[in-house]
Amino acid sequence: MNEQENIKLIRTACPAHCGIDCCGILAHVKDNKILKLEPAEFPFKKDKRICLRGLSTLDLLYHPDRIKTPLKRVGERGDGKFEKISWEEAYNIIVRNFREIAEKYGWKAIGWVLGGPGAGTTKFGGYLRLASLTQSTRVSAWGYGDAGLPCGSRVIFGSHLPYIYLFGEFWQREWPDLLIVWGSNPGESAPLQTMRKILDAKRSGTKVVVIDPRFTVTAAKADEYLPIIPGTDSALALGLMNLIFERNLHDMEFIREYTNGPYLVKLDNRMFLRGKDIGDRKANSYALWDKDKQEAKRVRRSNTKRAGLSGSYNVNGVHCKPAFQLLKELAEEYPPSKTAKITGIKEEKIRILAEKIGTAKKVVFFTYMGVSRTYHGDISVRGLATVASITGNVSTSFSSGYLPAVLNWDPFLNADPETPSYHRLGILNLYNAVIKGNPYQIKALWFAFVNFVNQCANSEKIIDEFFPKLDFIVQTELFMTENAKYADIILPVCTFLEFSDFLPQPYPYVQLQQKVIEPLYESKSDVDIVKGLAERLGYGEYFEGGEEAFIDLIMDHPSLKQYSREKLKDGAMYLNEIPEGTDFPLNFRTPSGKIEIYAEQLAEDGQALPLYLEPIESPVSPREHKYPLSFIQGHSRFRTHSCYGNVDSLLQIEPEPYVEINPIDAQKREITTNDMVSVYNDRAITILKAKVSNVVRPGTVNIMEGWWIDQFKEGSINHLTHDIINPVQDKIYEPNMHMNDVAVEVKKYSEGEK
Amino acid sequence: MSKRYGFIIDQERCIGCNACTVACRIEHESPEGFIKVFTQNSEIKDAPTGGFPDLSMVWIPKLCNHCEFPPCIYSCPVDAIDKRADGIVIIDEQICDGCKACISACPYNAIAFNEESGIAQKCNLCAHRIDQGLEPFCALCCEGQAIYFGDFNDPTSKVSKLLKENNLFRLKEDLGTNPLIYYSPPMKKREL
Repeated sequence: MNEQENIKLIRTACPAHCGIDCCGILAHVKDNKILKLEPAEFPFKKDKRICLRGLSTLDLLYHPDRIKTPLKRVGERGDGKFEKISWEEAYNIIVRNFREIAEKYGWKAIGWVLGGPGAGTTKFGGYLRLASLTQSTRVSAWGYGDAGLPCGSRVIFGSHLPYIYLFGEFWQREWPDLLIVWGSNPGESAPLQTMRKILDAKRSGTKVVVIDPRFTVTAAKADEYLPIIPGTDSALALGLMNLIFERNLHDMEFIREYTNGPYLVKLDNRMFLRGKDIGDRKANSYALWDKDKQEAKRVRRSNTKRAGLSGSYNVNGVHCKPAFQLLKELAEEYPPSKTAKITGIKEEKIRILAEKIGTAKKVVFFTYMGVSRTYHGDISVRGLATVASITGNVSTSFSSGYLPAVLNWDPFLNADPETPSYHRLGILNLYNAVIKGNPYQIKALWFAFVNFVNQCANSEKIIDEFFPKLDFIVQTELFMTENAKYADIILPVCTFLEFSDFLPQPYPYVQLQQKVIEPLYESKSDVDIVKGLAERLGYGEYFEGGEEAFIDLIMDHPSLKQYSREKLKDGAMYLNEIPEGTDFPLNFRTPSGKIEIYAEQLAEDGQALPLYLEPIESPVSPREHKYPLSFIQGHSRFRTHSCYGNVDSLLQIEPEPYVEINPIDAQKREITTNDMVSVYNDRAITILKAKVSNVVRPGTVNIMEGWWIDQFKEGSINHLTHDIINPVQDKIYEPNMHMNDVAVEVKKYSEGEK
Repeated sequence: MSKRYGFIIDQERCIGCNACTVACRIEHESPEGFIKVFTQNSEIKDAPTGGFPDLSMVWIPKLCNHCEFPPCIYSCPVDAIDKRADGIVIIDEQICDGCKACISACPYNAIAFNEESGIAQKCNLCAHRIDQGLEPFCALCCEGQAIYFGDFNDPTSKVSKLLKENNLFRLKEDLGTNPLIYYSPPMKKREL
């Protein structure tokens, strides 16, 4: 069998920006041609897996539409007219433009817009390094819709993401009694790393609840499905607390020990009572009401057990209440009847859920980004985390944690330790920087692994107001995406099968994304592309050795000593050491060092407590609205955001976008399945097919995100979304795009009419 | 004793993802794949049944049932279809003359006509992989780990053990075709 003998098997891993499931992949290769991909082994046999997109990657790799050479724009921006140029010419044009712009406006007028890198590290690191060396602007990827989660998590837990505290032992396959999947659909978005575990847990006795406006794949597996009105999550959280408090099912010991619930709040300015207010020598310490001594005392480890949690106290003439009392008073405003009315969930269902959360031995609250994509999504995250906190369902030990990444970013962030690093802008702040010069002017952008205009809010604004203000645009891309059409220079990039990277995923593994074949056509990896630019800008020494050297740089970190490139070539390795010195929260890194059920830092914004504030646009009382339907965007199994959106093998199964509309709403508008409809608001009209189904709750419509703009008859998903900035999120971390907080109307479309 | 290969497909674990279909297309270079995923009791895929919000959505992958009494074999005028000793029903593409008799005879709509090559094709349970000691590619690539492949004649196999559960069903059992593809229905919803 000579033919068999010539086939090499190479283990690599998919870095796609999904769950991040990060499947190990075994590639069958012959003469620089990949014949087949299949799931690769993992140390724990049950973790062997691949998804339908991973399986289809050869259709991406060998797609006839791949960009094969560098391209220079020859038509108007957006026309898609380009001519082939050499790499040398492309670099010359880029260097000339960058230098001109830097001379006129400074280097910070040049921005690096990087998409989600998935599990990839060096492709991100390369750009960070050049951004740092040139002190240009790095545009953060969180605000694409993911910033609400860190905003909420940073406030209550002091951690960038809440996973370690909420998911806890779930990742070690220690199943809880109750699993509450809140605004997330791992059945499609994280089937392998998460959904498989949910199914395992369920079989072992875990009861599963799904809270979602859609009857998702995950909801189909739930014991209880609760159809919530989009953007009302914090009302539900308060309603649950109301019942938990009323029935005394909260965990007083946990609240005293781990939260700032006992801390006294001054009612006049809603700030904490401090040492200086009670004559304590530690002027800035927090204070509590010592029940034994009947006076306000500085918080000590020894006296939290004696802390009063309820009531109101007069401390030297200042009216105070414990933070927990204030939370309780807020929750009292949300009796079940009112909560039911706001959230659209039946009163008795809320009662049962509250009782179960209060009485179950262990509850895991599972959420990703969907719940936080409303204007007050950060508070929604705090709301559900507060329910977890008052019932003691927060885990604080590393061993029960989730490790998002063991990353050694420092050498990239401060490439030259003597000089300052890059400037940083949130993605929505970038809109203002480009369009209004606020906080400073951006004149050139480099887009890498992102289909910006397709995936960012208010596409029309990007096309009409944002692109025209830019003097120079570069895009590294596989295909002529909508965003690439607006670039001045397009550089052909590799798929993940054509370059190497280090992947600290999925928990609890690290893997090597091993180059399987040499780059096709004239394509290069992002690291090689940025290396070529760095050399021409005089920073070549920082990029010597390319991606291989960068992998070594990452693996050089003390926490990764036990791993070697050689061993990783053969397979994934268990992650079993606590990485020291990395940004991993072993304690709550909040101002108080506790879980902050009361956030003093937001007192001046009126958001110290996880209160319910109505969505900014999504209609909660439809009759009063010009656009009476809530518009949300689920995540499809057929794409990872917009990636794989042009792959025939997947399009064959699901060929075109459609809007899901409930039969009640469809009937009112005389819409039936497969009718062409207009989904519209003041910003745009989007025309596509309708799918009439109970998959969405009445009053809500859904289009799966990631469809390409040119796959719609007119408009697109993000033609309908808005770019409103939430100033509180801007203050906490960075503002999020509120894609699930959008109002639309839908009507039947007839040709020629709008 | 001879082998008797088949599947038990666990509907509790099937998430309707179509990875089986994609895997099958790759393994067999077949345009559509010989295993297809449907949403039970619904004409539209991924559309729930029932009244909102008391809904249900259950997926059912369908493929050749590798019947013990396969109507396709009896229908083929050129004897191109055979049932191997291990239970797998295969079409010999060299013999098949594309008359489509089997396609009409199959009560499961599991045989496709390949317009390009002009012959009938269907799932062969990845016989070529089984012969090398590998499991069928769709079972290997199943995202939900819902497809249990094994030998029903081996009492220690997972499928044999699961076969003892009394809630398994097969498609169109009344026809007496006696399929080797079994389904395990989803768990009932439990009170919280």
